[in-house]
Amino acid sequence: MDELSALPPEGPRKDPRRIRTISVNSMRSVQASAVARSHIDYEKPEILAPTPRQPITGSRHLIEHGAQWLNTVSHSPESSRPVSPTSPHRRSSTLSGLSVRFPTSMSSLHAAVDAAVGPADKEAEHAMAKRWIRWMHKRGMKAWVIPCSLLASACIKFCVGLGSYSGKGTPPIFGDYEAQRHWMELTIHMPIRRWYTYDLQYWGLDYPPLTAYVSWLCGIVAHRLEPSWVALDKSRGIETEASKVFMRLTVVLLDAVIYVPALVMFTRIWEPSRSKRTQNLALATLLFQPALLLIDFGHFQYNSVMLGFTLFAINAFALEQDLFGAFCFVLSLGFKQMALYYAPAIGGYLLAKCIYLGSVNGGKLFLRLAFITSLTFLVLFIPFLPPFAPLSAIYDPISRIFPFGRGLFEDKVANFWCASNVVFKWKNWASSTFLIKLSAALTALGFLPSVIVFCRVAWQTRLFDGQKPSLHTPILPLLPYALLSCSMSFFLFSFQVHEKTILLPMLPVTLLLSHAPLDSTIFGWGVLANNVAVFSMWPLLKRDGLGVPYIALTILWNRFLGYNPLRLPSRSFIQLLSIAAYAAAFGLHVLEFLITPPARYPDLFAVLNVLISTPIFVLLWLWSIKCGVEASWAIVGLGSTTSRPNRTSVASDDEKTAVHSRPVSLGVAQGRRRVPFGTENDSKTDET
Amino acid sequence: MEATDFTARPTARSPSGSHTAAEFQYPTPRRKSWLSWDLESSEYDLLFLSTSLKLLLFPSYRSTDFEVHRNWLAITYTLPISEWYYDTTSEWTLDYPPFFAYFEKLLSIPAAFVDPKIVDLNNLNYDAWSVIAYQRTTVILSELVLGAVLLRFIRGSVDPSTQRIISASLFLHPGFLIVDHMHFQYNGFMFGIMLWSILMARNGNKLASGILFAVLLNFKHIYMYLAPAYFVYLLRAFCTSPSGKLEIKNFLSLANAVIAVFILSFGPFIVMGQIPQVLSRLFPFTRGLNHAYWAPNAWALVTAADRVLLRYATRTGADLPINLSGVASTSRGLVGDTIFAVLPNVKPIHTFIATIAFQSIALIKLWLNPTYKSFLTALTLCGYASYLFGWHVHEKAILLVLVPLSLLAAERHAYFRTFILVSVAGVFSLFPLIFTPGESMVKVPYSVLWIIFVYVPLTRRVYEFPRSLSFAIIDTLEKIYLAGFPLLQLLVALFPTFIKRRQSSVAIPTETCVSSSDFTCPEPDPYSGPAGMAGMEFLPLMLTSVYCAIGLVWGFCRLMFLYLNETYQGASNHI
Repeated sequence: MDELSALPPEGPRKDPRRIRTISVNSMRSVQASAVARSHIDYEKPEILAPTPRQPITGSRHLIEHGAQWLNTVSHSPESSRPVSPTSPHRRSSTLSGLSVRFPTSMSSLHAAVDAAVGPADKEAEHAMAKRWIRWMHKRGMKAWVIPCSLLASACIKFCVGLGSYSGKGTPPIFGDYEAQRHWMELTIHMPIRRWYTYDLQYWGLDYPPLTAYVSWLCGIVAHRLEPSWVALDKSRGIETEASKVFMRLTVVLLDAVIYVPALVMFTRIWEPSRSKRTQNLALATLLFQPALLLIDFGHFQYNSVMLGFTLFAINAFALEQDLFGAFCFVLSLGFKQMALYYAPAIGGYLLAKCIYLGSVNGGKLFLRLAFITSLTFLVLFIPFLPPFAPLSAIYDPISRIFPFGRGLFEDKVANFWCASNVVFKWKNWASSTFLIKLSAALTALGFLPSVIVFCRVAWQTRLFDGQKPSLHTPILPLLPYALLSCSMSFFLFSFQVHEKTILLPMLPVTLLLSHAPLDSTIFGWGVLANNVAVFSMWPLLKRDGLGVPYIALTILWNRFLGYNPLRLPSRSFIQLLSIAAYAAAFGLHVLEFLITPPARYPDLFAVLNVLISTPIFVLLWLWSIKCGVEASWAIVGLGSTTSRPNRTSVASDDEKTAVHSRPVSLGVAQGRRRVPFGTENDSKTDET
Repeated sequence: MEATDFTARPTARSPSGSHTAAEFQYPTPRRKSWLSWDLESSEYDLLFLSTSLKLLLFPSYRSTDFEVHRNWLAITYTLPISEWYYDTTSEWTLDYPPFFAYFEKLLSIPAAFVDPKIVDLNNLNYDAWSVIAYQRTTVILSELVLGAVLLRFIRGSVDPSTQRIISASLFLHPGFLIVDHMHFQYNGFMFGIMLWSILMARNGNKLASGILFAVLLNFKHIYMYLAPAYFVYLLRAFCTSPSGKLEIKNFLSLANAVIAVFILSFGPFIVMGQIPQVLSRLFPFTRGLNHAYWAPNAWALVTAADRVLLRYATRTGADLPINLSGVASTSRGLVGDTIFAVLPNVKPIHTFIATIAFQSIALIKLWLNPTYKSFLTALTLCGYASYLFGWHVHEKAILLVLVPLSLLAAERHAYFRTFILVSVAGVFSLFPLIFTPGESMVKVPYSVLWIIFVYVPLTRRVYEFPRSLSFAIIDTLEKIYLAGFPLLQLLVALFPTFIKRRQSSVAIPTETCVSSSDFTCPEPDPYSGPAGMAGMEFLPLMLTSVYCAIGLVWGFCRLMFLYLNETYQGASNHI
């Protein structure tokens, strides 16, 4: 039994759809001309299974040939390929394993997605965004889809910005809006050394230096436009119309410069061979994600900058630009320490990449990464380091960025500590230092599975001396799940979590869901997670006076996606969970509307909110781990380690086996109907 | 009524035989679909989208009209009907016709449940969250009338997919967004009634059309601008036979129905003998030629010409008779009489004559061709002439032109170009209503999106290649004109910072001479004196007004030309 056939064919045709299932990666395809290839593939009665990503050991020209061919297909999505999703000529080279149906076979997966689009006219009727994009294409407005989406999202952002914000009209301390404005004031009037020490009681700077630099730039612009907006100390709590517009404008512009291009890039890079429509649909999904819109443009923060840098890093990894990716991620960390939630996943990925590349190349990469990372950090912190400042100066920013002095949790936040605190008073039971250690341990336990999965897959697919690395790293598809489970474990178990931090897990969730078909489990989880995330921030939004945007944006986005929990796979776990969650959330809102909480429990509704949201988040975290593990199975097979010679022989002689190069994709395995590997493997062996 | 229905089929193009005529009849929409929800998903989408957007606009800028309407809620709720038109607690007295007062009365009942302070007469300038949410919600809900009527336009249309675009464009019109959902008014609701009336005319039910228009007049009397077209159309197409004989039965039924509507509306006030008071509230003839900000009509051009001539006279010392009171009382954004410095003054009677003259050109054509399409064009032209030449026109009145014109957009390429030109200029002319910077960030991208979604799909359907050199030249000039709008917006947006820079630089004595070299400066130095900078603040407004006025006047000429040259086949002998 060889490793290459670990992922078996789907067996004889059972489904007429399957006829379009082709193995794009077949060697024969590589050798044949494009036309002939499609012909042959089309006629081929036998459905080839995609194969796990393997180090290539076959003859070299084939590999290069294949890589080239794949390259042209996957990176020129605008080629002559018809756009219509129903076109029989559609060839997919991605393993966009987003479909639930045929999770074991990667290209058949995609074919299934394509085939599903055929009868999916019905399905498409439910999604507003899909309908809109289809209309645009029909009217010959294809080129307008992206400009219009971007303009519409900007318009929505400004609309949200018309409303209230954090701490509006609440002297003397105000809220996040005032904090950000105060930092502009602070940075342009103070020498760098005093940034982290000036009047800490009034919104002292507690974000990493990049935020300070950005604030400084914004402050300079503000000072040029109207000095009173950022006058030192005198401008505290300033709320003139013009200053508000300026502040809102800075958020939208920074978002447009960093986050939006990262999103556009993401849709183009991660699913290069999907149709333009699907990519645009994904973009629209991501652009109108309500949680981020509400927090950044309503509540007022600059999360999209941090998320944008992380997204750039992810994009760079997909393009195999690991050094640039590491650089971007350090920028993300340097903008907001919250990006640390992603650090184990990113670090795990890069480590796995080094393992995968083998001892020589991997070692080189490791050293380069270490160098780039430390250099970037060094540059970011250089004003606080010798020779520009005494070494002790570095203590100021560090102690401000990591406030270990504060408690386990402050507000009501839907994480493990706050939820369990209802029955188990942690603070009475253990000292704060112990709790910090405990939370650190639990967090590490939470993200460890994804890191281990990374390393295991990398080890099993590692390259040996003289092997050429494949076009795409095999571990890449694991990255979104790893990001999700890491950030989720941080959100659930780490200390000093804010309700807004749910935005971090929501990024990978939304990335995963953006390319998923309507009735898939990923889609169900993604939308549920997003809706519950918005719901979990309800107490905060209510305090900020953002109730109406909360309702409007959430409903609009769900309508936009055509989401309906009843349309998920019938009686599946996710469907039942979604219905239960929505019923509970809706019930809570009605209750809150109708009755005022008793004086004894003023936070009754906030606590109930936490109790509803936390289980969903815990399940989301578990689900992400499960998906990560399943994806790893899809890549290297179940646990059994194989010996190298075996693989070599197969790769070189069997033309059915794939060139290993496979473009990246999101969300590999969705193991709902997974065929047991063992049996399939056996049957394959029999055949050969 | 059924019989007249048949004879009056509006669009039967061929006189020869019922077969061809039937082909061009608009399919009569199914009955009772007012109640059934036969909405398509895309229509739901638009409803969701527009409602979400409007919800997000809750906290946006509100003009005094918001307080005006709140005050009316209070008046109609607290006072007996006999005092409605006498109350002067607030300066915003009730000055809409009775139906609107009844409508406010209806709205005030739930308002009292929501928050009793809303309907407190002495609680002036109340702007709590409850009243904002309530009043804005009523606008959104009442606008559903517009949505329902627009849907009916699609259902009975010859070309539903084009009509759907037009209907959607009207439902999402930036004019409504700016005037109703930011500035605050109930135009969506009232234009819904107007379109309903037009729909009835299209479906051949002219009696209903007339009644609905009478109802509309009793909601807001500004629709009197359109009354001449209705009068001529109904008289010609409904009350007389094609040969010119008076149809007594039709005439009486229409007259009685209209009178009944007016009695329903004004009845209580007739009984109480308050008609003179009501009318004095409805028609205050004490205002100036131009509104605060010059509505971009013909008078704006005349006023601008006067300014330019004055400047020319003072600069060159040309021998022009100058009215000194006109120099002093330049309408620098102040309400009041506009007195020209050089040109002869304009009196209300002049504007009246000009309006009637231009309207009658269109009305004569309508009398000769009383078809639905002809009526629609004449209706637009009627509103247009009133807008361009009327006394004290408010810029919001441009909606009277834009809405019926939209229905003609996909008629032919020439109509379409007129529509785009007038829409762009008209919507832009509404921009100064919303002057706060935050809201400007919404109105501009929204309007750009709207024009993209209207222009791109429709232009493909109606495009015609320019047929002669003169067409090509006009086409190019119009394109240049349209391209000027982004620049103008840029200027308007950047002007405040520019003027601030200048003010600070003027403070330095060495740079005082800059203003004289700038041709955009509206006021010559000797007269402006220290108020020169204050005058400058209105420069963007004046520029906007004049620039839009050029386009709107040209659009009027275009449409008039098109209308007069249009042949409505077989109309005269078929009806």
